[in-house]
Amino acid sequence: MRNLKFIKNRSYLNLTPLLISSLILSCSHQSSTSKQESTQKALEQDSNGMVHLEVKKYTLPNGLKLLVYENHKLPIFSYYTFFDVGGRHEGEGTTGATHFLEHLMFKGAKKYGPGQFNFLIEGNGGQTNAYTNFDNTVYYEDLPITSGEQDMVEKVIDIEADRMDNLALVPEAFEKERNVVLEERKMRYENRPGGKLYLSMMQSIFEGTPYGGSVIGSVADLKSLTREHVSNYFKKFYTPDNATVVVAGDVDADEVYEMVKEKYGEMSPSSKEIQDYRVSRDNPDLYKHRGRYGRHVKIKANSTTPQFMLAYPSVATGIHKGYVLDILSSILGEGASSYLNQKYVASKRPILSTIYASNYTLKYSGVFFIGGELLPKKGIYWFKKQLVKDLKKSCDSAIDERSLQKTKNQYLISYVSSLETNNGVAHFLGMRENFFNDYAYYKKELDIYEKISVDEVKSACKELFNSDNFIMTSVWDKY
Amino acid sequence: MKLNLKNIAVATYILSGLGTTVQAKDYISDKVEKFKWNDLEVVYIEDNRFPTYGLGIYFADGALGDGSVKGSIQAAFDYMSLGTRRFSRKEIADNIEFFGASMGNEVTHEFSNYAVTGLVKDIIPTVKKMCHLFHDATYPKAELDKEKKRSISGLENSAQNPGFVASRAFREISLEGTPFSYPVGGKIKDIKRWDSKILKEKLAYINHDVKKRIYLTGPKEVLNIKNVIADDCGWKGQGKFVRDVAYTKNESTGGPHITLVTVNKANQAQVRIGKTLSQADSGSTELQKLTSNYLGGGFTSQLMNVLRVENGLTYGVGAFVGMQKHYGRAGIYTSTNVETLGKLLTKTKETLDRNSEGKIDERGFNLTKGSLAGGYPFAFESSKALLAQLMTLDHLGDDYSKLTEFPTKLRSLTQKDLISEIQNVFAWDKQDIVILAPKNALDSLKEFGKVKVRSYKEFL
Repeated sequence: MRNLKFIKNRSYLNLTPLLISSLILSCSHQSSTSKQESTQKALEQDSNGMVHLEVKKYTLPNGLKLLVYENHKLPIFSYYTFFDVGGRHEGEGTTGATHFLEHLMFKGAKKYGPGQFNFLIEGNGGQTNAYTNFDNTVYYEDLPITSGEQDMVEKVIDIEADRMDNLALVPEAFEKERNVVLEERKMRYENRPGGKLYLSMMQSIFEGTPYGGSVIGSVADLKSLTREHVSNYFKKFYTPDNATVVVAGDVDADEVYEMVKEKYGEMSPSSKEIQDYRVSRDNPDLYKHRGRYGRHVKIKANSTTPQFMLAYPSVATGIHKGYVLDILSSILGEGASSYLNQKYVASKRPILSTIYASNYTLKYSGVFFIGGELLPKKGIYWFKKQLVKDLKKSCDSAIDERSLQKTKNQYLISYVSSLETNNGVAHFLGMRENFFNDYAYYKKELDIYEKISVDEVKSACKELFNSDNFIMTSVWDKY
Repeated sequence: MKLNLKNIAVATYILSGLGTTVQAKDYISDKVEKFKWNDLEVVYIEDNRFPTYGLGIYFADGALGDGSVKGSIQAAFDYMSLGTRRFSRKEIADNIEFFGASMGNEVTHEFSNYAVTGLVKDIIPTVKKMCHLFHDATYPKAELDKEKKRSISGLENSAQNPGFVASRAFREISLEGTPFSYPVGGKIKDIKRWDSKILKEKLAYINHDVKKRIYLTGPKEVLNIKNVIADDCGWKGQGKFVRDVAYTKNESTGGPHITLVTVNKANQAQVRIGKTLSQADSGSTELQKLTSNYLGGGFTSQLMNVLRVENGLTYGVGAFVGMQKHYGRAGIYTSTNVETLGKLLTKTKETLDRNSEGKIDERGFNLTKGSLAGGYPFAFESSKALLAQLMTLDHLGDDYSKLTEFPTKLRSLTQKDLISEIQNVFAWDKQDIVILAPKNALDSLKEFGKVKVRSYKEFL
């Protein structure tokens, strides 16, 4: 990622807040809504408050997928490109390559040379950025549809197609950007106890799997990555059959399709060899949890009070149990009224200054973790034992009809909020298409959430916490 | 794609780029309604797209109303939900969160904003709950003590967040001598002084004495809170106090004034460069935006180009120039390796000097104008964000035409205007430079002038 939109340290596909709305939200293809109606009301709701996203989907012969959502409220649009490549595709000695490549994608291609990309986007009133995580690399632009006489939709398609097909990887820019990435690493991780804690927790719980590296990369790997490494990586993964383009805004879907076909249509899909390689990285056996449980990983860092993450193995995105664990994490650790907040932060004798819980689902695995920070003079070793014990008890005392319904209400707000801008809609659709091959997959997920009961959450809670399969990680300046 | 002229013609509100002032005015006049509930001013944007609402309550005083107990206005807002005469902290949190609603506040020195979002179907009970908090919050001692302990612990451990500490120190140093230098939330020594009585007094002051204005967006039915605001909150326009302040800041010269704020074990230096502005220092809002974006906005700015693209010295750099009602600030913020700190400052100075001397990068100038003008329609994409802009304009006493006329005024700006603004705002010898870094950064700073060394703990 190049700047602010950096989502390594939280669930990038936090389906929970986006999808639930149990009673209420759904999605369907409406075919009869006129453009004028769309202008007035971008997201149609039916009498139950259901929100409908009208999306057109196209697939080019070379495998590139295109989603278009028309919203004629304002003369602006968002353009997302999702590549199905992330930190999990890296091997030993090349950690950080995906993210490094993401930086270099802004450094010039054949038609639009060094410096031109940012100048064209920002000079015409747009914004652009990107992020990388373990599963995806994602680029976006927000722009007005025209700038002077220039059709910006057409321009962005041309620019994006150019860099997907003909990235330059200029040697001088390569070396400078290496320094930038090293500075970014310091800023996000080395100088932040919370960043160190997160990296260590992920590496511990996913040890021995493709998720056990780090997206930012180790310093040694970052220093030794060569242009050839990155170039090979680009050739393997930046192909039309490994990408999804999403356009949301004041556009005509069929016209966008014609332009995309013109600019991307001649690109070749991956060779059989590369496709086979990618498939080999998707083998679920590679991702089976094999962490060394029961450990307490202690890291010395600049924090005067201990910060911790207690991690349990979870499941991949799309697995039924994952949805149940999403709800469990919210009941336990989302908001001031959540169980763990009330128990440790707002209690008569507080132990912690903060606590939260999260079920982070990745494409082929997941982690359920509880994180927080102790108040001064509270012991981390004692607390760890107490927390594990309390979690076992929480299943019967934390989960009831009210806490379940409360969670669903909270998710509805988050869901709707994420659709307030073209950027939000494009990201929402692209994530689902990239993970499930179905941008409207959330309809199925809504059904799942709707049917989840108190008993089911309790059962998942007991299964999770009665196991001793956890790893404690903490940072403190006293270690 | 051919230009989609049909769409452009039929779209109800077209706001793209330069020369669209008329359409933007139409948007504001068609979409934004102003009226009064009793004697209370209301600004409303109808938005039927979502089953949600946004409510903001503007209070015409902020941390300058603290009196002798600093941070008490912020604390009065923050801790309303710790308990009331009828409900415990737990009940309040559960009740608000059950609706999926969120409540929060932003306190500046000059004004405060209390914001609520939630589902339209639950707006009445949610706003009733908010009113209950405003009127019946008791700040129970036991709960308040816990929160004070938590806040103090957070500040004591803030060295883990160097960017936060650097910005805090920079504010205090660069605004020294004005009423605006002290942190809005107070320091550790102030937090220790908060008690239930003081916070209740502050809340009563906010409730009864301070002028308020309602900002609301959502479907028409959200206007049903009118009676709740009047009856439950008791806000009928009776509060009249509006914060005003007079002060004189002596012009800083003979600088730059450099302060090294030391923090141990950091392997990166946080850099803040800037100064306090008075109305006389700076030009129009449009010129301020042009200046800050030209120097440090986005990936194509002058400083980003020099520091990151050409020299790989930093991950990011930004600049800002902006006025509040009574004061303004200009600043540059970035970070770098301790070893490259000297080079980064040299390159920054060269960039500012070059532009002050009139050597404006024409491409960058045109690009920045294009960027600001082209991005203009995005100001209208989110009703909640637009409402926030209107609140700022109202606070400053500016007409909404300031927003709608932005592209036209921007277009009229010349390179000469930009040079003049950079000279006034970013003259090197008038800057306060604050570096948060380990002590060993001192050597590389000495070549830029006399350096004061202070511990980061002084700013907590």
